[in-house]
Amino acid sequence: MTGLFGRIGRGALNQLKAALEVSVLMVDTMVWLVVAPLKGLGFRWRNSVESFVEYGVRSLPIVAMISFLIGVIIALQASYTLDQWGANRYIADLVAVSALRELAPLMTAILIAGRCGSAITAEIGTMKVNEEIDALVVMGVNPNKYLVAPKFLAMVTAVPSVTALAMLVMIIGGWASSVFVVGVETEIYVTQTIGAIVEKDLLTGMVKSVFFGVAICWVGVYRGFQVEGGAEGVGRQTTASVVTSIFLIIIVDLVFTVLFYYV
Amino acid sequence: MESKESVIVVEDLVVAYGDHVVLDQVNFTVEPGEVFVILGGSGSGKTTLLRTLVGLIEPRSGRILFNGQDFTAMSGEELTAIRRKMGMCFQGAALLGSLSVADNVALPLREHTKLEESTIDIMTRIKLELVGLGGVEDYLPSELSGGMRKRAGIARAMAMDPVIIFYDEPSAGLDPIVAAGLDELIRTMQSTFNLTSVVVTHEMESVKIIADRVCVLHNGRVAGIGSMNDLETTDHPYIQQFFARLPDDSDIADPEYAKSLTNID
Repeated sequence: MTGLFGRIGRGALNQLKAALEVSVLMVDTMVWLVVAPLKGLGFRWRNSVESFVEYGVRSLPIVAMISFLIGVIIALQASYTLDQWGANRYIADLVAVSALRELAPLMTAILIAGRCGSAITAEIGTMKVNEEIDALVVMGVNPNKYLVAPKFLAMVTAVPSVTALAMLVMIIGGWASSVFVVGVETEIYVTQTIGAIVEKDLLTGMVKSVFFGVAICWVGVYRGFQVEGGAEGVGRQTTASVVTSIFLIIIVDLVFTVLFYYV
Repeated sequence: MESKESVIVVEDLVVAYGDHVVLDQVNFTVEPGEVFVILGGSGSGKTTLLRTLVGLIEPRSGRILFNGQDFTAMSGEELTAIRRKMGMCFQGAALLGSLSVADNVALPLREHTKLEESTIDIMTRIKLELVGLGGVEDYLPSELSGGMRKRAGIARAMAMDPVIIFYDEPSAGLDPIVAAGLDELIRTMQSTFNLTSVVVTHEMESVKIIADRVCVLHNGRVAGIGSMNDLETTDHPYIQQFFARLPDDSDIADPEYAKSLTNID
């Protein structure tokens, strides 16, 4: 019994310690991102743009392809039910609203977490194993300024940007299967889509995607700094990074969905 | 031994990981312009000592004075200012793998100075020429040999013209010729720039060539400090054993027992 309480206590303390470390990381990143440039301490813009290209531009092909296919699938699945009521024209409404509010932000975030969150962990973890992080510290270069802040800015701008494109492509996917398979007219599909979307749908999706970006970046960075013990440690934390990111993405999604439900 | 001019003064330093005390009541000074070698066997705490000296590990108690200022009590910009006066060459060189050799050397200059890119370029070339690495500016660290990487690491450590430079196992993993070249480079840096150097090593051959003074660590405590001549004549059993390269009795297996295990007559 004592052992059980001991394990619970240790587990709680470890979680508390992790929460504290993440909080320190968050505050320090925000200082280097917002306060330091105002004080003339500089910001690595070039590095941030390079990271944006990596997280955003290079994620476009896979995100666009998956979004298109999901659009096709939702339209066909919707038709399965709506066809019975002769309501196939409402496929457009369903695709548009679910793409904007839920599926485009979620799919984009999960794909970027798998593609880039893991890469951030692997990069920082390998640097830690090779003492490159220590080298930065000894040179008087803050690793959060040098590594984290540029990545953070890139991620919180890349995820919403790619999400916006994913929303559009998902609607196009829905249109393709509605028009070519189900037989809905293009004009009706477009009219229904425009009529279905309200400002709040877009806002919901975009706000979520910004926070998905925050979660992906901080989990990736935190897991990277947690790496211990060589290549095996890098592998372990990289896997943990993807799992934690996806879990957090779902939690953030739930929180904002509930929030926007009442607001 | 302590004097006002000492670059580094270590006072009653204790470093521990949890309950495990790695360094216990360590005291020594490093004088300007000398090559001070920290010598010890595996697990003696020498790398921990070096990492504490550069501020990578926080001591449990004790003080480290850098030019008279208590390094252990500093944080933030004050600490960064002190670190600009230090250079460190890591065991594996720790060059940033994503940057070219020149960008690695230029990194501290770009981060800490507002020099023009053309000036940084010239300074980088000078530092690389200094360590015998002219012409490899555009190479990535992965394209260099182990010895070249360490030289590039020294060039980066020298970038900000430090007051003191720390070397972690400079000859580890290198062939004798390359290792001898690095020893010579350490001596050249010291004599050319009157650069204070702290070297952590267990290579006796290197120590004989580079050391002005040696601090021998044993089980986290200072077993002796002095010149090589002083230490060679000391009666401390561990130092005698270390210098004579004798194994511990417990490390030698009984040949008869080993044979009985393998059934070989």
